[in-house]
Amino acid sequence: MSAAEIADIELVGVTKSYGGNVVVVDNVSLTVPRGEFVSILGPSGCGKTTTLNMIAGFHEPSSGEIRIRGRNQVGVPPEKRNIGLVFQNYALFPHMTVQENVAFGPKMKGQSKSETEEAVRSALKSVRLEGYESRYPKELSGGQQQRTALARAIAPRPSVLLLDEPLSNLDLKLREAMRIELKEVQQQLGMTFVYVTHDQEEAMSMSDRVVVMSDGVVAQEGRPSEIYQNPVSAFVADFIGKSNLLPVKQARDHDGRLTLTLGGGLSLVSERSGDIPANDITLCCIRPENVQLARKGASGENLLTGRVDKLVNLGAHAELWVDVSKDCLLKVQVPVRRLQGIEIGSHVDLLIESAAIQPLAH
Amino acid sequence: MRLGGTMPSLRGYVPLIPPVTILMMFFALPMGMMIGLSFQDGDTGSFSLTSYERFFTDDLALDGFFRTIVMSGLVAVCVTVMSYPIAYFLARSTSRWRAVVFALAIAPELAGVVLRTYGWLIILEDQGFVNDLVIQLGLIDRPLPLSHNMFGVVVGLTHVLLPFGILSLLTNIQGIDPNLEKSAQILGASRLSVLRHIILPLSVPGIVSSLLIAFTLAASAYATPALLGGIKFSVLATMIYQQVLFYINWPYAAVMANVLLVIVLAIAFTGARLESRLNSKLHVR
Repeated sequence: MSAAEIADIELVGVTKSYGGNVVVVDNVSLTVPRGEFVSILGPSGCGKTTTLNMIAGFHEPSSGEIRIRGRNQVGVPPEKRNIGLVFQNYALFPHMTVQENVAFGPKMKGQSKSETEEAVRSALKSVRLEGYESRYPKELSGGQQQRTALARAIAPRPSVLLLDEPLSNLDLKLREAMRIELKEVQQQLGMTFVYVTHDQEEAMSMSDRVVVMSDGVVAQEGRPSEIYQNPVSAFVADFIGKSNLLPVKQARDHDGRLTLTLGGGLSLVSERSGDIPANDITLCCIRPENVQLARKGASGENLLTGRVDKLVNLGAHAELWVDVSKDCLLKVQVPVRRLQGIEIGSHVDLLIESAAIQPLAH
Repeated sequence: MRLGGTMPSLRGYVPLIPPVTILMMFFALPMGMMIGLSFQDGDTGSFSLTSYERFFTDDLALDGFFRTIVMSGLVAVCVTVMSYPIAYFLARSTSRWRAVVFALAIAPELAGVVLRTYGWLIILEDQGFVNDLVIQLGLIDRPLPLSHNMFGVVVGLTHVLLPFGILSLLTNIQGIDPNLEKSAQILGASRLSVLRHIILPLSVPGIVSSLLIAFTLAASAYATPALLGGIKFSVLATMIYQQVLFYINWPYAAVMANVLLVIVLAIAFTGARLESRLNSKLHVR
């Protein structure tokens, strides 16, 4: 394998269990090429933070291998791994100024005074925090503390930067601005970022690749759009974005077109036969924005009629809950300008593209 | 409306009456009497500074004064140094031994000072456990001077006061975010560097309060210096006792008590000032 092909991080069958029976991370394998922004996304307790702690060296895996730039890291203490880490609570040293905080890494790595100063200068420049060198952490705003933590982590030029929900202590506006900034810093440095979060919007907006974890295993891995459009399980469909998950009673395959029979006499046609055998299909996923309001008197396949049960106007678009059969409420997202004449109790016709119906096995 | 507004706040002070009364009767009043007594002539009862004059010109008294300071200082340092690793372990450990160590650290406090001091006497005496052992092993001929001196008293007091040091450091170290240590570690700091650059500077307020509490308690301790120090080992607390019981010189005893009070107050005041300055500077979460 040539140097360029060696991945920055490789996890091979990594398992972490406590006391032999509590398995927190179960046989996770993951390869992160150099310069990639990868998010590990999942609800709390899914094992994402444990995985991060194992990469950092704070926990040792019970079995499996962790390699950083091709070198096995099991048994290597955190201080020898050449990794950067940004915590959710920033963990800035309160007794040190911004300058001293950022200089800590280069100093500990034995860099000379001039090298350290240069590293601090360039790190603070990357996060646009020049002029704050002599401030103490408590004199900074939340956003500035966040940037200081980032500068401190990148100053020793680690091979990999790990970020543990670094934006969740900021308010929404700042969080959105920091997402763009983080991504810019990452691209500018060409550094490998592993970003742990439970916020799917964060993961979607910044990552080159998203790894969805659930109950200690990787539920799905892929580009953000791929995961959004082709979730492989009800869990992923439900966790990433909004979705309608409808139980399928029977599925039949006709040359790549699936006929799905739902409860209440409904039937839908999907163009995605995919990899799942028709007999295994138990659910289908439909994104609310893929359900359209049909013109009155329209005809064709996947045309449903129902009564508006709930209506929530969110400004740019509105969410309707439409009662399409006895036990099936369909969540629909429509632009607000299409709402004319629609109120709770109205009857509406809905059209679903056959390509937008994703059959699922579980 | 105004009446309704003030009445409940007045009523709020009612529960304070019993404790305040008790404090006045048994603390403020005797304290005032003691201060007054120190300015009295022993025979006539008129105002006089003779007792103070005597204290500050008597070599024996001044010896006791300095011995008190040296002993308390040594105890304060020993307590803090020994408490630190225990407190750190208790603050950070998640092991099942944590509860055991905590109990072992605090349990001696239940045994009573006199009992523990006699325990140390049995161990440190000339015919005590340690001396017996090393003499039997043939390492020395004559017993080592382990008791009836500064060494014995400092050992005894350190043991007595250890829980106070542990508790004050424990509160402080628990307040230091463990992520700071992890951050430092991942930035390349060895265990020793983490201790030197992160934990020690941040636990200075805890160190100060441990030194403070150990010093003041050691300075006012009576039983341990009296039993482990023997007759010739005099500190202010034992000297006060002698003046009251053997010489029945109450004004002179009051002077010594006041000197002790001033030492303790001065130390406590400086320490508290230092601690609050450090705390406001560090803003330890």
